[in-house]
Amino acid sequence: MKFRDMLRMSGSSLWKRKVRTILTVLGVVIGTASIVVMISLGLGLKRASMSEIEQYGGLTTITVSEQGSYYGGYDDSETEIQASTEHLSDDVVETIRGIEHVEDVYPVLDTEALALSGGYQSYISLRGVSAEKMKDLGIKLGQGEFPEPNAGQLQAVYGNMVIGEFHNEKTGQGYWYNGEMAEVDLMADTIMYVFDMDAYYNFLWGNTAEDGTSAPMPKKRIVKTAGVIEGSVEDYNSNSYYVFCDIDELKRVLKKEFKNKIIPGQPTTAGGKAYKEIFYTAIMVEVDDMNYVQQVQSEINALGYQASSNAEWVQSMQGQYNYIQLALGGIGAVSLIVAAIGIANTMMMSIYERTKEIGIMKVLGCDMRNIQGLFLLEAGYIGFIGGVIGLGLSYGLSAIINLVVKNLNLGMNMAVGISYIPLWLALVSLVFAVFVGMAAGFFPSLRAMQLSPLAAIRNE
Amino acid sequence: MSDTNKKTVISVKDLYKIYRVGESKVRALNGVSFTIEKGEFCAIVGTSGSGKSTLLNMLAGLEKPTKGEIVIVGEHMETKNENQLVKFRREHIGFIFQSFNLLASMNAIENVAMPLTFQGMAKEKRIKKAEEVLELVGLSKHKKHKPTQMSGGQQQRVGIARALVVQPEIIFADEPTGNLDSRTSAEVMALIKKIIREKNQTLVMVTHDDHLASFADRIFRISDGKIISIENGTRE
Repeated sequence: MKFRDMLRMSGSSLWKRKVRTILTVLGVVIGTASIVVMISLGLGLKRASMSEIEQYGGLTTITVSEQGSYYGGYDDSETEIQASTEHLSDDVVETIRGIEHVEDVYPVLDTEALALSGGYQSYISLRGVSAEKMKDLGIKLGQGEFPEPNAGQLQAVYGNMVIGEFHNEKTGQGYWYNGEMAEVDLMADTIMYVFDMDAYYNFLWGNTAEDGTSAPMPKKRIVKTAGVIEGSVEDYNSNSYYVFCDIDELKRVLKKEFKNKIIPGQPTTAGGKAYKEIFYTAIMVEVDDMNYVQQVQSEINALGYQASSNAEWVQSMQGQYNYIQLALGGIGAVSLIVAAIGIANTMMMSIYERTKEIGIMKVLGCDMRNIQGLFLLEAGYIGFIGGVIGLGLSYGLSAIINLVVKNLNLGMNMAVGISYIPLWLALVSLVFAVFVGMAAGFFPSLRAMQLSPLAAIRNE
Repeated sequence: MSDTNKKTVISVKDLYKIYRVGESKVRALNGVSFTIEKGEFCAIVGTSGSGKSTLLNMLAGLEKPTKGEIVIVGEHMETKNENQLVKFRREHIGFIFQSFNLLASMNAIENVAMPLTFQGMAKEKRIKKAEEVLELVGLSKHKKHKPTQMSGGQQQRVGIARALVVQPEIIFADEPTGNLDSRTSAEVMALIKKIIREKNQTLVMVTHDDHLASFADRIFRISDGKIISIENGTRE
């Protein structure tokens, strides 16, 4: 018997019993939809939290800092770490670059400054990164451009929340205090930085310098604004509080500003004096794959530096979401099992009704395998039709869920939606529905195959 | 009956069928032997319970004999398994049922073409063949009719066409006119006989009706599982 003829025959016998077919299909529709929607919720939650983690710094980034410093989040590793003997210099950068799976290494230099502009002021966290790296950090500019490398002057890129930090010099009030935004246009206004803040306050308060003379006004340096990061003052991300600038320019400026004085945030010698060299605050390490982050991290720890990343957090979170997904899928599977029982029942009924028909087919020489195939195909059809409709329903439900959750605004990052049906889920669920249908139809089909042809001869 | 082209198509030797009913044994067939030649029209006549239907079922491979041998077109039926029997029927045997046994969801052409579907024949080819056979039984006007739209006589003609369409060596008929009135019965019998004569086909018919049996070339009378007489048919 040709496969096409079998398809046609089993299709037409389903069509003959429309109401029963529709009811059975309905079971599969509900079963498929509940599994797909449940799993889509699990996937969506996972995706949403992953993208949230990404906003708190990448999943493959390790932050290396000096032992005992509090830079760069938390580190819950209990391992005994030997104290670092060397400060973070260019040599350390090169050593780390040699570790396996390390894709990229770049230093970061953080310092603080006071920014002044038209009666407003703000303490800013200056973060020096090489100009090329700024683009790679995932920074998206809302206005302006990235500073050019080797520009010969300090150019700043402001985080989108920095503007909120500016406050009135006299009243001390700013956006975070009373919601009134400082009248500073970061792009257009002249902004001056004071790096030596001790000297600045000594001058303001009329203190005398060590040599007894009154403290001089430290130099105010005009810093050109290159750009501002995209986002409103309320949108937090890992870059939003920083003012970025080129690391080499920053080093140059700091050396000039402080000469041999101690730069805030820099280590000192045993005698309390400043080093000649400016050391980095942190070294960022990009690992080529999330799975190697922990490995690289422990190698850096072994070097005597403090290394931290999101890896452990992410891994435990992923494990949790896999459990959630399994649980949700299991709940959905219950209704598909019920649907499978429905299919088996329908097929059984159908076979009892068609005992005579099956007998006739056997007398007329229909192959036993073909008879089994016909009934398997019928069950498969039910699974397939139910799967297709159920999948359509799932997409609809998923859209509704996303819409509702978006409107509820639960505070999570819902830009991507809580329910997410990737293509593989759609395909797998369809195949699964057909498989469940055929599995449910297997024993009925075996029974049909074994029916005696004598039933056809019996005259009622 | 022509004596040219004499060739045995069915040969039965010492055939027994014993059913167990509780403690006792019922001998449905109790040692039956006969041969049927190609082109012959044989009737197996007996009362209800005589074993005639059991004999037909075993000839068609629908039941297994307890003992004995059945050779049809040179092949032993008693040694075949169910799959082989189905295949054998598909290729060599046509079957006419008492209650027509047409599939209600299919029209006349589709019913006739069904055995060809089982052979895996392409659609256009099998429809063409079915149309030819339907014309042969005089139903060219009812090709698209469903069984419920046809009379008993018409339905049985479809049944006959379905048996003929595979061009089988042997046709088995189980009370083919049992559900028809006497006038239609005679018509249908005449049609069957005419066609098998034209095609020189072998027909084995089971009936309890002596009048119908008289259409046959030879009549096997069976009683209590044994053939009690073999007579020649009375009409030509």
